[in-house]
This record gives sequence, structure tokens and C-alpha cells, in this order.
Amino acid sequence: MQATQIIHAYKQAPWRVQRQWIGAFLLLLIGAAMVAALYLDVTARAAVSGREIQELRFQITAIRRTNADLETQLANLTSTAEMQRRALELGYRPVKPGELDYVPVAGFVVPEPDILLAAEDTVPHIQSLPFEYTQSLLEWFSDRAKFGGSR
Amino acid sequence: MRQQYAVRSLILIAGLALVALAVIVQMLRIQNSEQAQLFIAQGDRYAGEFNMIYPERGEIYDRSGHLLAGNRTVYEVGVSLNKVKDPEAMAYALSTHLGLTYEEVYNKLTDSPDGWEYVVIQDYVGVDTVTSLQQLVQQLEDAEDPRLRGLAFKPHFQRSYPESTLASNVLGFVTRDGRGYFGIEEKYNDLLAGNPVQIWVPRDPNKAIEIPKVPNGTNLVLTLNRDLQAKVESILDQALINYGAENGTIVVMNPRNGEILAMATTPRLNLNNYSDYFLLYDNGSQYNSAIGTSYEPGSIFKVLTMAAALDTGTVSPDTSFMDTGSIQVGGITIQNWNRDSWGQQNMIGCLQHSLNVCLAWISTQMGPQNFYGYMERFGMGHPTGIDLAGEAMGRLKVPGDSDWYSVDLGTNAFGQGVAVTPLQMLMAVSAVANDGRMVTPHVLYAMLRDGHQYNVPSQYAGSPISAETAGTLNEMLSISLQEESSQALLPGYRVAGKTGTAQIPTEYGYDAFHTNASFIGWGPVDDPQFMVYVWFQKPSTSIWSSETAAPVFAQVAEQTVILLNIPPDIVRSQFGSR
Repeated sequence: MQATQIIHAYKQAPWRVQRQWIGAFLLLLIGAAMVAALYLDVTARAAVSGREIQELRFQITAIRRTNADLETQLANLTSTAEMQRRALELGYRPVKPGELDYVPVAGFVVPEPDILLAAEDTVPHIQSLPFEYTQSLLEWFSDRAKFGGSR
Repeated sequence: MRQQYAVRSLILIAGLALVALAVIVQMLRIQNSEQAQLFIAQGDRYAGEFNMIYPERGEIYDRSGHLLAGNRTVYEVGVSLNKVKDPEAMAYALSTHLGLTYEEVYNKLTDSPDGWEYVVIQDYVGVDTVTSLQQLVQQLEDAEDPRLRGLAFKPHFQRSYPESTLASNVLGFVTRDGRGYFGIEEKYNDLLAGNPVQIWVPRDPNKAIEIPKVPNGTNLVLTLNRDLQAKVESILDQALINYGAENGTIVVMNPRNGEILAMATTPRLNLNNYSDYFLLYDNGSQYNSAIGTSYEPGSIFKVLTMAAALDTGTVSPDTSFMDTGSIQVGGITIQNWNRDSWGQQNMIGCLQHSLNVCLAWISTQMGPQNFYGYMERFGMGHPTGIDLAGEAMGRLKVPGDSDWYSVDLGTNAFGQGVAVTPLQMLMAVSAVANDGRMVTPHVLYAMLRDGHQYNVPSQYAGSPISAETAGTLNEMLSISLQEESSQALLPGYRVAGKTGTAQIPTEYGYDAFHTNASFIGWGPVDDPQFMVYVWFQKPSTSIWSSETAAPVFAQVAEQTVILLNIPPDIVRSQFGSR
């Protein structure tokens, strides 16, 4: 009977109840801190990635501009007037009809113009950003809950 | 005692709860007030900005891939006003580099309207100027000198034409607002310009926005041969000097498929300096006279009259005609170009000597219904449909029109009283060179988009005459050139063609001193691969096309066979026999 009373008194000890409360509070605090840290980590990484994407976009635009500039510069350097001037400087002169020799080549067909290389698409095909860059943390959790780790 | 504390605590809790409730109520009230919407809108406005992404304008190439119209980077130089520390120094630096006055820049920096955060000092500044300015800014920043702080450079594209004036009449130009004027730039403006996309860019770095794909404008490949175009322009410029003509036009077309290989006109505009447009042209029709200016072509029109007559069976090459030097049509006397009578002639002789009387007789024999029916089928009075902006449609008066008289049947037969553009004549006569099939002239060879090349198919505009008629007339025009020892002949190649010297109508009748001198010709006769149209306005050294336009045709044809690798007839026949 006395032992039962002692156990009961121990269970009811005020310091023990307080410790339980403190423990529960600390557990909640640690949980919240973990969630906050995770959120901060994800959002910070998203922010950095966002900035990197913006920077890459600026680089793409700058490179496209450079390409266009270089192409125009090349066209200037190989323009008709410039090529004629350089040819004359090198001692060339326009050919006359009587100076041409035509040689038959069996099976040769004059090729049709094909300048497809100029049509290369310089715009990157960015159809959509990965989900990681656009989802909120809650959306990510929800997605994981629905689809697991498959996506 | 404990009860007292409990009551006080309850009162305190209730008081705090009331305060909290009041705060919440006030928050809700503020958030749902009328002003709240205003604040939310303001917040949204500063949360990001709309950016318009303009695609790079499509480039234009000749048929061999030489760039005719491209893009280059230029800069908008502006200043963020709230960052300016020393407006005097800024004004001095900018005025020195940009060629502006100090006062102009200083006033922009100091007298901008309230609320302005940014002011543009100058746009379309070249790379070199901006580079030197950027270096100056960097030097000052390195020395922690804030005098040029706030200077901003925003790059963007500007249209650039590496060949300057070459084919300017075909290309057209693009103004600073990005709109194309004349030629290809206007006709295909939508394709070249692409579709701008407006996007909302949030300032919050967490909100990484999706970058929309903004495809460049479509690149275009023209049928023009750049080297031939340059040669033809050079020949034209020299011919204007040699013959003292006011202006001129030379067009080279493939009569088999309608591809325009060269189209030279005068005057030509330096496309990199398009503001000179108003110095060179009085009106838009002068920009490309090959398509925009119609005129009375004169005797080259006889090709069409003869084609119609042969096709209807009204005449054959051997039909004889006694030329007495004049003929009455509609009560008006029509005479030959030299007012002489040429006696007995066959139809080849009529073409060879370009006898107005003979052709007027032919048209009267055909009758107006037949004659004008054929002219309609040849496309007279209608635009050719070439893919260039600003095409004129000419004028063909027909019976029933208020200004048509009976004499027109006679005069129209030799190209007076009818107005055509050079391109209309090329299209119509292509039927003669192309076995009766008339081609639609075009300058677009292909479109390049998303890594694919889409070739533009050739189109035909009907068959106004039979292949037999075309073949017969081809021979007749070739023989007539040979027999008159025309200056249009090209050694080694058999060519066909016709001269045309036309009086110029004015408000007071025909100009007695000036003419339009034209020539249309093609070759090789057995397999036509080029057709050339030459037109000189008011040549002064000679009014006759046989002495002006015909020799220029020979020059152009000579360069054409070289640049298109067309061997002489004898070589081709040897190739064919192997």
C-alpha cells in the first residue's frame, strides 16, 4: 500500500509534469525548426536557381546578339563591292565568254540552292522549367504524397 | 485571496482578448476597404515588370546564301535619374561621346518631369561609341568616382544591309519602329518580324518564371543571284551615263519558272541610310520602277500582237503584207516609225523592221474582241502578283471604256495607248519563251524556319498561246534579230527579242523629243534560261532602242551566261549529242 502511494506520488510530482510539458514543447519547437530550415533551404536554392536561369537567359540573349553582329560583319567583309575590290587588288579581272572552257561531266546536275545552315534555330527549346523550380514546398509535399518519388 | 487573483486574471484576459479582437477587426476592415485595392494594385505594380520580348527580325539571303539583310546590335543610352550625382559631368561626357550639345543633355538630366526615374539620352548608338563610354564608366567606378553613376546601356537590334544599295529596290527597308517599307521587307513584314511576346517578370527571385520561347522571324531566301544583280546594276549605271538617260530598269528572269535573278533600277537607296528616301524619290512608285511604274512600251508590245495573231491563225510567218507606209484605223492615219513605206513584207519582216502599219493591220484583221481577249489573257491591265509591295497594274483600255476609241485597236498593236510595267511585259512574253505557258514572276525562293527550308513552288499564270505558236514566234524573233544584225546579238548564243522605242505621252500630246527605249529578249532560243528586259527613260544620245537598250541587252546576256554557267550553243549541242 505504501509502495503504491509512493509510485502514485512520483507520477503526480509537479516537476515531472512540468518536464513532460517542456519535452512536448521542445519537440514541437524542433519540428517547427526543421520544417522552417527545410523551407528556407528549398526556397534559397530556388532563388539561386532562379537567378542562375535569369543570368543564363541574359547570356543567351547576348550570344544571339553577338552571333547576329558577327554574321553581319562577315557579310560586310564578303559583300560584292568588298570582294571585287580585293579581287582586283590581287590581280584578278572579270572573265570573258571566250575564255571559258566547259567540260562535260557525266551525271552532273547543277545543284539547287540549299542554304539550310542559315536556318539553324538559335533559340533554345525551353518548353518548361522542371517542377522543382516552380513548386512551393506544400505543392512538393502534396505531389510526393500523391505520386511518391516517381516524378 | 486566490479568488481575487482569479477575477483579476479573468479581467486582464478579457481586456487583452478585446484588444486582440479589435486589432483583428481593424485588420479585416483595412484589408477589405476601398483603399486596400489601391494598395494591392500598387504592390502588384512594383512586384515585377512587363517585358516585351521582340524576336530577332528574320534575315534575307540571296539564292546562294549571301546575306542581304541582317541585324546588328545598337544601344539605347539612358540615365537613371535618382542615381545621378553630378549632372554637369554626366552632360559633358555624354555630349562629347554622343555628338549632342551640352545643354541638350543637361536639360534632359535636370528638367525631366516629376516622377521620371529614367530618361533616354540617345537611341541607336553604335557599339564603338558605347564601348568607349563603358570604358570611361569603368575607369571612374574603379576609382570610386560616382560622376557617371546611373548611366545605362540597353542593347537591341537594328536592321543592317551589308550590301548597302545592292537590290535596294527589291529588299525595301525597315524603319526604327520595326515596320518594313517597300519590296520584300513590306510584303513579308509579318513573317520577318515574328511575334513579340509580353511576359511578366516578378522581382521576387523565388518566383523563377518560365522563359517563353520567342522564335526569331522567318529567314527568307530570294531568287536573286547577288553577283548577277551587282553586274546588272553596274551595267545599268554605266549605260545611263553612256546614253544620257534619266533613269533605267533592267530585269533578268528565268522564263521557265518566273524566278527573278536580277532586278536593277535607278535611283537606288542606301538602305542603311533610308532617311535619304525623300531626297531620291518623289513618290513611292519610283522606288522600284520595274514593278511600280507603268509606261507605254512601244514596239516590244508587237510580240504580243503577233503572238495573238499567230495563235488565232490570222497570220502565219509567211503571210505577206504590202506596206504602203500608212493605214487608216478609226479615221486616224497610222504611220511607220520612220514614216516610210517598206513594200512587200512577210511577218518576220514586219517584226524585223518594226512596222507599225503592219501590226495595226494585223490587229484590225483580228478584230477588237480577239485582240483584247488575248491581251487580257496575257495579263495586261492586271498586276502580275509578284511578291513585292507596290506593284502597279498598268492600263489596258478596252472597247466599252469611256476613253477607248477605234484607233486604239491600231495603236495598241504597237504598244502605244497602253501602259504596262516591265514586269507585266516579262510575264506576258514568258509565254513565248516557255512553250506557251506564262509564268508568275516571284522573288521568294524559300523560307527558313525552325531548322526547315520550305521552297516556294513556281506558279503558272495560264497558257495564253499554244506551244506551237510560241515555238513559231520564238524562231521569228530570233531570225529577225539575226537578219537586222542587231546589237542585241550575243556571239555563240542564239537569242530572240524585240526592240521598242515609244513616244512619251504628256498633257499636250506626245513628247516630240524624248522616248522610252526598251528591249525584251531571251536565250538560248532552243532552251531559254534567261529573259532580260531593258528600259531607259529619255535616253539623250539616241532616242532609238536599237542603239541603246539592244546593246545593253547583249551586255547583260553576256554576264548572265557566264554567271549562270550557260555554255554556248555549240558546246551544249556537243554535250547533248554525247
